[in-house]
Amino acid sequence: MKRRQFLQLSLAATLGPLVSPSLFSYFNGKKETAVKVLILGMDGLDPNIVSRLMKAGRLPHFQQLAARGGFSPLGTSIPPQSPVAWSNFITGQDPGGHGIFDFMHRDPELYLPTFSGTSSEEPKKTIRVGQWVMPLSGGEVKLLRRGKAFWQILEENDIPAVISRMPANYPPAKTKQRTLAGMGTPDIMGSYGIFNYYTTEPGKINPDIGGGRIHQVYVIGNQVEASLPGPINTFRRDRPEASVEFKVYLDPVNPVAKIFLNDEEFILKEKEWSGWRRVRFSLMPGQSVSGICQFYLKEIRPHFKLYVSAVHIDPENPALPICTPPDYSRELVSRLGLFHTKGLPADTSALDNNVLDEEEFLYQDNGFLQESLAMLEHELSRFASGVLFFYISSTDQRQHMFWRLTDPAHPAYDVKLAGQFGQEVENIYLEMDRLLSRIEKYLDSRTVLIVMSDHGFNPFERGFNLNTWLFENGYHKLRNPWKEDKGTLFENTDWPRTKAYGVGLNGLYINLKRREKYGSVEPGPEYENLVRELARRLEEFVDPLTGKRPVFKAYISREIYHGPYVEQAPDIVLGFNWGYRISWSSPLGKFPPQVLENNTQKWSGDHMAAAELIPGSLLANRRLIHPSPSLTDVTATILHLFGIKPPPEMRGKPVLDIA
Amino acid sequence: MGQAKIKIDKNLFERLKKYASLAGYSSPEEFITHCLEKELAKLDEAESEEEIKKKLKGLGYIS
Repeated sequence: MKRRQFLQLSLAATLGPLVSPSLFSYFNGKKETAVKVLILGMDGLDPNIVSRLMKAGRLPHFQQLAARGGFSPLGTSIPPQSPVAWSNFITGQDPGGHGIFDFMHRDPELYLPTFSGTSSEEPKKTIRVGQWVMPLSGGEVKLLRRGKAFWQILEENDIPAVISRMPANYPPAKTKQRTLAGMGTPDIMGSYGIFNYYTTEPGKINPDIGGGRIHQVYVIGNQVEASLPGPINTFRRDRPEASVEFKVYLDPVNPVAKIFLNDEEFILKEKEWSGWRRVRFSLMPGQSVSGICQFYLKEIRPHFKLYVSAVHIDPENPALPICTPPDYSRELVSRLGLFHTKGLPADTSALDNNVLDEEEFLYQDNGFLQESLAMLEHELSRFASGVLFFYISSTDQRQHMFWRLTDPAHPAYDVKLAGQFGQEVENIYLEMDRLLSRIEKYLDSRTVLIVMSDHGFNPFERGFNLNTWLFENGYHKLRNPWKEDKGTLFENTDWPRTKAYGVGLNGLYINLKRREKYGSVEPGPEYENLVRELARRLEEFVDPLTGKRPVFKAYISREIYHGPYVEQAPDIVLGFNWGYRISWSSPLGKFPPQVLENNTQKWSGDHMAAAELIPGSLLANRRLIHPSPSLTDVTATILHLFGIKPPPEMRGKPVLDIA
Repeated sequence: MGQAKIKIDKNLFERLKKYASLAGYSSPEEFITHCLEKELAKLDEAESEEEIKKKLKGLGYIS
């Protein structure tokens, strides 16, 4: 017996009846864990909606699960943003311990927003040969989340784990376990997702939309010539964008077109999706990068309209690290075919900007969901030991986009669309119920099933312009106040006279001396007093239209976070009230004229509220023994199920009765 | 490195000469070159800011 196994068995004996008396058993001659833990991570699954639908008898399998084990709201992170919340779960720590405070952080030298989850470094050594720049050392993409992931701890204890599409795990944490990166995985452009839309009628679409590019094309002799943009070609001195030319031949009579792309040709009918198509961007002789995308021929006549999804990293030949071990994604392709790799694949930007309509969006997202479920079943079919975590994004994405059609009071409510799509939020819960039914056959008496979400949901009816509020209240100074609503990224800010600024979706930073480049506030009493004053005034602020307080709770980060990275946190984290969220433009340093504005976008449900208002959900087929579990408790529970004592930095406690 | 000439208003040039000398530049040309490089660096920076915005916007939470 290995020393580690001996220690595990000793620990199991010490912990008594809550722990399985034997961590490993032999099944069909193979050594396997006595307990298997299946965790389904359904992003944004709201406990109030689950409860309401269960009471109405519409979620029979959720109901069965709750009756057999338990169902509870699950305490979420502050703020309840997915990368933060899932990082709490991954590490068993709060943001002070894992260092992810928001989707976006800021560079205190430049006051610019940065990706919170990853950083990219280009090769440090290069050589220039004519127009080419040859790397002499490798570039690197770094995961910025700190702290050990629970599957790394499992690995140290010989417990196998498969972690599929875990958010906030790109590039995947180093491990020999099978892991596939989820939310945070970029497209081939290195962005959170940029679609391309080719049309003869570009005037109908806002040209400056987020998450997409609009290309004007011309139909000449029933032919369209276009170019699909790819990654920056760093092999070239002038660093142009790589691209692939393609041609579309339109049938002169029928609503059909043939697309020539690279060496491939395929036919699409009007309103037809192509499925995955591989596209190869040439960077230099002998060097190319491969991606996959989907084409949708929206209209042929009278106007040509072709949508091309974001180009995902090719899982068969990934240009960037998306999995561990490195051949895992290739193995999945060999079993299941090509699959999406970009985190959050549903194209919410295309729907928000009327490039895709509701039906087209649902078709696309359902395709991604079915692809995911096939992958889940594939993993379940060989799940014999340890832990299987599987993440589903559709629950989150559909609530973001269809909440407006559930409530006639929502500023983006549309009575006609509500008649057609008003049930889509409920439908995705019903779909998850069918999923529980579908996986039942894979569960045996050894399987502990945990269904969890990172946060709940609430309506996004009114947007709060934090930077405008700071400006109007004298905490933020502009060089040219008459240009208040012009420009972005604080380009009009008078930094030496500014005391505070907002970056990201919930973060407020003090312009602190010796931390920020042009800091104006002294650390110590001046800083402490300013933080308290701001927190108080933000919480007191009332929306004159509704009489409600947009900021339910202004958390002072030093009072709520623990661990070595607290100093990197925003100084104040805003917890919004029900119906409120940060506005669309404040996170990037804009100053719209009004402090509050109605949200008329299709993106209409959200989760930037105070953590107390929108907990996640926890269901399990074992009894819950803790009255108010939180995300970090689930992490501790997983380790406990295998007799592993959580490391001291983990904050949770076991919550399942496994006696 | 090749050089090119540009025309500049005479009064402005007189002012440039004066401030170039006061600021310790060896010639008005050096002062002008420095000013132009500084402004161009800002524009280059603005382009990368634009890139940051585009990349973040794909997230869906901002516009």
